Amino acid sequence: MRLNEHPILDFSLRRGREVTIYFEGKPVKAHEGETISMALHAAGIRVLSHSSEKHRPRGLFCAIGKCSSCLVKVNGIPNVRSCITLVEDGMRVEMQKGKEELPKTAKPPEWKDAPKFEGDVVIIGGGPAGLMAAINAADAGARVILIDEQPMLGGQLVKQTHKFFGKREQFAGVRGIKIAEILEEEARKRENIQIFLETSAVGVFQEGDEKLVIAVRKNRELLEFRGKSLVVATGAMEKMIPFENNDLPGIYGAGAIQTLMNTYGVKPGDRVLIVGAGNVGLILAYQLIQAGVEVKAIVEAMPKVGGYFVHAAKVRRLGVPILTRHTILRAEGRERVERAVVAQLDENWRPIPGTERVFDVDVIALAVGLRPSVELLHQAGCQLLYIRELGGHVVRRDERLETTISGIFVAGDTAGIEEATTAMLEGKVAGIAAALKAGVASPDWLKEIEKAQRDLEEFRSGPFGRHVLEGIKKVMIGGSE
Amino acid sequence: MRSEAKTVIIGGGIIGLSIAYNLAKLGESDVVVLEKSYLGNGSTFRCGTGIRQQFGDEANIRMMKRSVELWKGMKDELGCDVEFKQSGYLFLLYDEEELRSFKANVKLQNRFGVPSRIISPDEAKMIVPPLNTEGVIAAAWNHTDGKANPFRAVFAYANAAKRLGVKIYEYTEARDIKVEEGRIKAVLTNRGEIRTGRVINAANAWAPIINRMAGVPIRIPIEPYKHQGIKTEPIKPGQIEPMVISFKHGGVYLTQEANQGGVIGGYELKYGPTYDITPTYEFLRGVSYRFTQLIPALKYVNVIRIWGGYYAETPDGNAAIGRIEELDEFYIAAGFSGHGFMLAPAVGEALAELIVDGKTEKPLWFYDPYRFERGELREQAIQMG
Repeated sequence: MRLNEHPILDFSLRRGREVTIYFEGKPVKAHEGETISMALHAAGIRVLSHSSEKHRPRGLFCAIGKCSSCLVKVNGIPNVRSCITLVEDGMRVEMQKGKEELPKTAKPPEWKDAPKFEGDVVIIGGGPAGLMAAINAADAGARVILIDEQPMLGGQLVKQTHKFFGKREQFAGVRGIKIAEILEEEARKRENIQIFLETSAVGVFQEGDEKLVIAVRKNRELLEFRGKSLVVATGAMEKMIPFENNDLPGIYGAGAIQTLMNTYGVKPGDRVLIVGAGNVGLILAYQLIQAGVEVKAIVEAMPKVGGYFVHAAKVRRLGVPILTRHTILRAEGRERVERAVVAQLDENWRPIPGTERVFDVDVIALAVGLRPSVELLHQAGCQLLYIRELGGHVVRRDERLETTISGIFVAGDTAGIEEATTAMLEGKVAGIAAALKAGVASPDWLKEIEKAQRDLEEFRSGPFGRHVLEGIKKVMIGGSE
Repeated sequence: MRSEAKTVIIGGGIIGLSIAYNLAKLGESDVVVLEKSYLGNGSTFRCGTGIRQQFGDEANIRMMKRSVELWKGMKDELGCDVEFKQSGYLFLLYDEEELRSFKANVKLQNRFGVPSRIISPDEAKMIVPPLNTEGVIAAAWNHTDGKANPFRAVFAYANAAKRLGVKIYEYTEARDIKVEEGRIKAVLTNRGEIRTGRVINAANAWAPIINRMAGVPIRIPIEPYKHQGIKTEPIKPGQIEPMVISFKHGGVYLTQEANQGGVIGGYELKYGPTYDITPTYEFLRGVSYRFTQLIPALKYVNVIRIWGGYYAETPDGNAAIGRIEELDEFYIAAGFSGHGFMLAPAVGEALAELIVDGKTEKPLWFYDPYRFERGELREQAIQMG
């Protein structure tokens, strides 16, 4: 079901011409500008594939191209990420059943040189960190290439309908979706920024002093990008927690639900249980209610709510119970979520028998944290460390966010899980530092780096930042190890 | 860590571990294995997984025939499923000259009981349904060749050796070897000294460094070359069962993992000598081109991994295995030139016999480490998969 009325969002602007795609041979109405899985979800289709070993039904999970839960076969080609591939009129989509068989007749591909693009600074990821890196590197004099595998710029800002905190110059009081629009406009009006969307960076190589990024556009075209320096701002992916049937269609990462309802205007379901009472879980509850979805409860394993008090108070006022010291035991349902069973935990985190409660829900939202998407940095050979405070494996870097490989920089959630405001500030630091490294920026820009570093310090000085600062200390090159 | 051992093996790849296991099996369990990184990291975990008997000389054919017998029994002998599968090796032949030389090889292989044969392109297509047979005039096929999981094989040998009393020390690097009057006295490591009278150099790519430490007085030319491999996302297992090889396409080889279904392989592109194994785009492009020439439908399949590893090469592409007479006691089993994984079971068994019994029936003479010094190079072994 598509959402048409929304207190904040107007989806009519985003929905393009109506087209028809075919799922398992049956026609499905879709709109240009929608991804395959969004269109299918709007048509009530939840099962997109079957797992390879136990043939269990699988559906969407992350909705941003970071997991393999929504792989489908498109026009005969297997393993297509349906969540980031746009619909095209007449597209044939088939459910993927386990591992696919190759067609027996196929012609060798036409082999030609890949199109080549050159810049001073290549930036992977067009979210808050990547956009700020691009804008600042460009202003510092660099020719910038910005690539992102999503069909739109803005990263996760495009689904943040809430207003930001912080200082005015850091967009306080502005909704995330609006910040995305402002940053996109700024990036697009700079002639020295070349933008490539629907383009997945798949490898980073060193060619002499140059960085070579190879990427695949729209699942079919290989592109080569060369630059003197590289900023990796590939964001993060949602964590999963273990419980029985945690792979049933209808169990989504919190971000996936925001993508469905806030970006594409697709109603995620009718009744939701949220797991995790951090800020993401709390904000999600509020956004679901805005979209006309019932939130049955939020369960939180910790003894108290992790997110800001204001968010929790708002959710409670709307009548949503927050059950602390509770966890999800299992999901139930045949091909999709029909119920969720939760239980109270004792001091040793064990479920207390007899406290089980059944919630009649069709969606379970997991808001249990994020981990940095460091795959490309790892592949490039940057040194990684596991830092709990930063959400998982992160790269070692210096104060200008340069990694252990000269000329490769990191920014945003890829550098450690924080939030959009710090991502933007880090993007600024990394973008300018990358332009300086490329030898195109004047040393005057060092002042701008210092200013952004001070802003970061100030932003992190609160109680939530202390944790992050502990983590950063451990990964800083030259710092304590 | 032990301060004394009868035997110290330097190198925790499949060769060193197979030797350790086989020594212990023959009752010589006072063995220490030193690995400067983690087990398998040098070459074994980076290999192409293939196991073949289709060689062009008697010694390699016989050694590999024994190896295949051991691979077959490994699950029972070592108590771990190493995912060995006799899924065959298929050499695609594109012209009369290739066909002639493979016919001669097949004849030799048959003489030693390897059931290889020349088959038609249609038969090849039946074995590998998505194969592109355009231009193929025939293929050399042996169904008793195969593949195994190098990760499982390393741990299978390591665990079996440990059960028999072998001590394995990871992140323990041999820094020097103490020799007095032609006798091995001790191995110095970053974690201390181990007194010993016997060293086995199983360091493959790093073997020349170990030889220098011991002062090996003969020339054993082994040089590390960077080769690379890729793996694709999994597809339905069983579609590309054998190792498929084409010399016409730059020595490309590829197969599907038996259980997971990813397509794994590489081609002849090499760099070096070098200890740098950073993957290159040149390889990625080259291998993608060659894979899709052989199996065109792979154009729909994504590459998920690329890595570099070593071929520790000798001038004739055959390993140096044997005792160095001038040093009491120093053995070498290194320079496998890309065949170490497949040969490991037979090499471990043969070298253990040589050490314990003073002789072996297996043709270790072929790998005589003195042949370089004497200028008696072997015919170049096929370096593939």
